Amino acid sequence: MLNHFSKIQTISLPLSREEDWKVSLPNKVKGLDEGLVVLNCRDWLLTYRDFQKIEALCGTKGLQIEIIISTRTETIVSASSLGYQAKLSLNNNQKKPTNSEIDSNNNHNDLPLLFHRGTIRSGENLDSEGDILLLGDVNPGAKISAVGNILIWGKLRGNAHAGKLGDDQAKIIALQLRPLQLRISQAIARGPEEKPQAGFAEEAILESGQIVIKPANPNLLRAHTAQNVFIS
Amino acid sequence: MTKSTRIILICSGKGGVGKTTLTANLGIALAKRGVNTAVLDADFGLRNLDLLLGLENRIVYTAQEVLDESCRLEQALVKHKQEPNLSLLPAGNPRMLDWLTPDDMQRIVALLSEQFDYVLIDCPAGVEDGFKNAVAAAKEAIVVTNPEVSAVRDADRVIGLLNTHGVQPVQLVLNRVRPKMMASQEMLSVDDVTDILALPLLGLVLEDEQVIVSTNRGEPLTLSSNNSPAARCYSNIAGRLQGEQIPMIDPSKEGSGVRAKIRRLMQTKIF
Ligand SMILES: Nc1ncnc2c1ncn2[C@@H]1O[C@H](COP(=O)(O)OP(=O)(O)O)[C@@H](O)[C@H]1O
Ligand SMILES: [Mg+2]
Repeated sequence: MLNHFSKIQTISLPLSREEDWKVSLPNKVKGLDEGLVVLNCRDWLLTYRDFQKIEALCGTKGLQIEIIISTRTETIVSASSLGYQAKLSLNNNQKKPTNSEIDSNNNHNDLPLLFHRGTIRSGENLDSEGDILLLGDVNPGAKISAVGNILIWGKLRGNAHAGKLGDDQAKIIALQLRPLQLRISQAIARGPEEKPQAGFAEEAILESGQIVIKPANPNLLRAHTAQNVFIS
Repeated sequence: MTKSTRIILICSGKGGVGKTTLTANLGIALAKRGVNTAVLDADFGLRNLDLLLGLENRIVYTAQEVLDESCRLEQALVKHKQEPNLSLLPAGNPRMLDWLTPDDMQRIVALLSEQFDYVLIDCPAGVEDGFKNAVAAAKEAIVVTNPEVSAVRDADRVIGLLNTHGVQPVQLVLNRVRPKMMASQEMLSVDDVTDILALPLLGLVLEDEQVIVSTNRGEPLTLSSNNSPAARCYSNIAGRLQGEQIPMIDPSKEGSGVRAKIRRLMQTKIF
């Protein structure tokens, strides 16, 4: 996963909960040379305040955090709120997440499904290396992006980018699709002006290079990745 | 020492939405209810809580001297003459911003917690250092906003930050509500705002000229037995903070005159 960062040093927080990262981190930092560093937080739940402390500690050694990796969305959100580039990773040696059934049935591709519950607020980013299922709203000023599809059980009022690495089949589905801006693969569109019809889920897809919004088609949903998400 | 002081940050993101006015009026309203309340001016850049409370000329020491240990907390606290249950801890000078840390804020608030039931922190606008210092010391928060798109957007940003800081509960006060403009949909409605911000609504405050009059006098509206619209709103908020069930005002039932009444009548018939 980190191959392309090979020249950059990595700090990994402890695997086991027995070891307190706050205790072991100063020693890890001491052993590094000045420069960029990847911070792998594993499944530790870190707050904004924790990141400020880590930042200060890294500063003493002239280390600059290049990217923060975590298996927990809460940690990702805290990191992004401080302006860091943050990536969610789904680790093999981590115990299966609660959405594991969804994930293992999802043989459309082997991209991970990021499941997040809660509102994404102005200034926050949620990004996934696979699909995203969000239970909550994306507010104006917030951004949600995914390599795969974006499914929002809530209102999309911010910016969304599905298929961000160039997947033209990616779609964005929301209970209310009123984004400021939509992107699918390379295409960009401004959100529609008119008020949404209440009670109909909508989807945005790419049709001959143009983003179109239509009522979400439940059969279409089943035929694609969302199949197992909506069944249970 | 085992007192569970309520330490409430009053914040907004955007400036000029009514944080300081709310802090002053809520402070007085709580004090009137017999609650030992301290208001802390954490807006070192644009301090004016002292002005609104009419305490400007009684400041001798500030939070700065308390932190320096060049005076005791008691010496810096300014008691309100008419409402002695309310004390103000004034902000230091604006340059204090350069060296103040979240730890300093926590120290001050810990000192205040020893003797007060409520500590209200008047937060500076923005999400920069001033905000970060203030949030470090807070347990819960009231986010103040206006029914305007830009104010709501900034409030949303602040709510996200409060969440990552573990501040809980976070409640909403919607200030400068104009029933007429809401009715004619020239202004975001209460539902529009709560729908986006997804916070429990602690109160609405009506737009009220008396707020400006009272600000200039240095006498918060809640101080007198003044029953202006905003004064009622502030008192209700104080009551709700203390767990009382007080129904929310309905903007469509506010506003005066025959026209508003007719409009209401028509609305109920059509819808
Ligand atoms: N409910 C209200 N009705 C009318 N004017 C108000 C109301 N609330 C605040 N104001 C006015 O708005 C201005 C900004 O208020 P202030 O409390 O200083 O905002 P902040 O502390 O958020 O910067 C002041 O002039 C104040 O008198
Ligand atoms: Mg102010």
